Amino acid sequence: MGLEEAIRSGKFIVTAEICPPKGTDISGLFSEAALLQGIVDAVNVTDCPRAMVRMSPLVLSSELIKMNIDTIMHLTCRDRNRIAIQSDLLAAHALGIRNVLAMSGDFTTMGDHPYAKPVFDLDSVQMLQVITKMNRGFDLMDNPLGGATSLYAGAVVNPGARPLGFVRIKLQKKISAGARFIQTQAVFDADLFNEFMDEFKSLNIPVIAGIIPLRSAKSAGFMIENIPGVKIPQAAINRMESASDPVTEGLKIAAETIDRIKENCQGVHIMPIGNHDHTKRLLEMCSLL
Amino acid sequence: MIVTRSKPIEEIMDQIDQIMDQKICVIGCSLCAGKLKTGGEPEVKNMIRQLQDKRVNVIDGVVLKHACSIESWESLIKEQPVISDAEVLLVMSCGIGVSLLGRLCDKIVIPALDTVSLGAALNDEILLEMCSMCGQCTVGFFSGLCPKSGCPKSQLNGPCGGSNDGECEVRERKCIWTRIYEVMEAKNMLSMLNETLSPTEYNRGL
Repeated sequence: MGLEEAIRSGKFIVTAEICPPKGTDISGLFSEAALLQGIVDAVNVTDCPRAMVRMSPLVLSSELIKMNIDTIMHLTCRDRNRIAIQSDLLAAHALGIRNVLAMSGDFTTMGDHPYAKPVFDLDSVQMLQVITKMNRGFDLMDNPLGGATSLYAGAVVNPGARPLGFVRIKLQKKISAGARFIQTQAVFDADLFNEFMDEFKSLNIPVIAGIIPLRSAKSAGFMIENIPGVKIPQAAINRMESASDPVTEGLKIAAETIDRIKENCQGVHIMPIGNHDHTKRLLEMCSLL
Repeated sequence: MIVTRSKPIEEIMDQIDQIMDQKICVIGCSLCAGKLKTGGEPEVKNMIRQLQDKRVNVIDGVVLKHACSIESWESLIKEQPVISDAEVLLVMSCGIGVSLLGRLCDKIVIPALDTVSLGAALNDEILLEMCSMCGQCTVGFFSGLCPKSGCPKSQLNGPCGGSNDGECEVRERKCIWTRIYEVMEAKNMLSMLNETLSPTEYNRGL
């Protein structure tokens, strides 16, 4: 069952994120994918996250589809103008990719090529409009395509961002532009997330909550410093600091967060730091397997 | 106001390395660069001193009233005859002044500044990124504030995911969308923010 069908069925969705390599060797990705096969509904493939040069997500997404794993390909506005975005979307369709997550992308100066020209020709709302048009068989300028795409478009929201009135404007625009599901940035504070969901449930769009199991107190600090919009409650950091087995403690905190939010959303999206060695264990801990 | 920043002296030296023996005239501009203290009288004098220390053959320095608006080359050298004696012009103005001089004369023209932003001067404060010259002005939707230039990611339809508690994730300043939200709320125009804006028509500026 592909992601769209799984979401439509109303089941609780599990997705997980992998990052293409910085280099040409993709063998590590196959072992990561093998860990996820059969335990997730789809695998997200990131697009040069934190503006670091990595292999194109088109290639990795296509490889995963060959392994019979449904994928959600990330596509950012940072590195492509509207011509390149449409070109990549056509390529994605041709490679069998059906789910695309449209996002602005982390800013160039955060990454390993700070001198790069930031493109941002379109914003994420406009990218979603493009996908909607291409699904109808037209490009952005209304020229007919020789074959329409059939892409299931997703959008991103940061449920911890405040004020919520502000978040609402953009989220509503994304939904009107054609977003059919939402994946969120990492949730560490269940209360903030539930407050967000109470506000936006009426929008009636499936929300898959992002989860990052902490690995150490140090990694928590790194994320607060380096990942935009991440808010980690002090209580979680304290637990990580005093834990004798920080990895297990991080999984426990993640499992507790999932338990507290799962009634309020339609799925979780696991984005571990490093690899997926413990993803299966986490899903077992919160009875999602 | 065209906002400029001084180039590191090493970068300027790299550019004049091969022509140090030729007669160099430093040219400032009293308009924006003068106000910003990147190309006014004191900066031109300071540049001359630095170049002389490095044994560059500087013959003089002049500050133009506005390097971006010149009647003709003839009128310019009539006003500032030293310029015609020079073989190289080191220009401490924005890129427009540099380009104009490059077009007008047969001398070697070298920039001493980097042009970084279209800004504004508010009393003593310099406000950066007030306009990105995208060619299709949409600030009417935002009561005059420009998200295309004010947001590093040029977001036209609301803040990016990195805007949080009113702060921009890229620069140490308030997110332009926070400003827009506050202004629109105060002017009772919040509903205008629901409008989805189409991609900019960049051909207008080409």
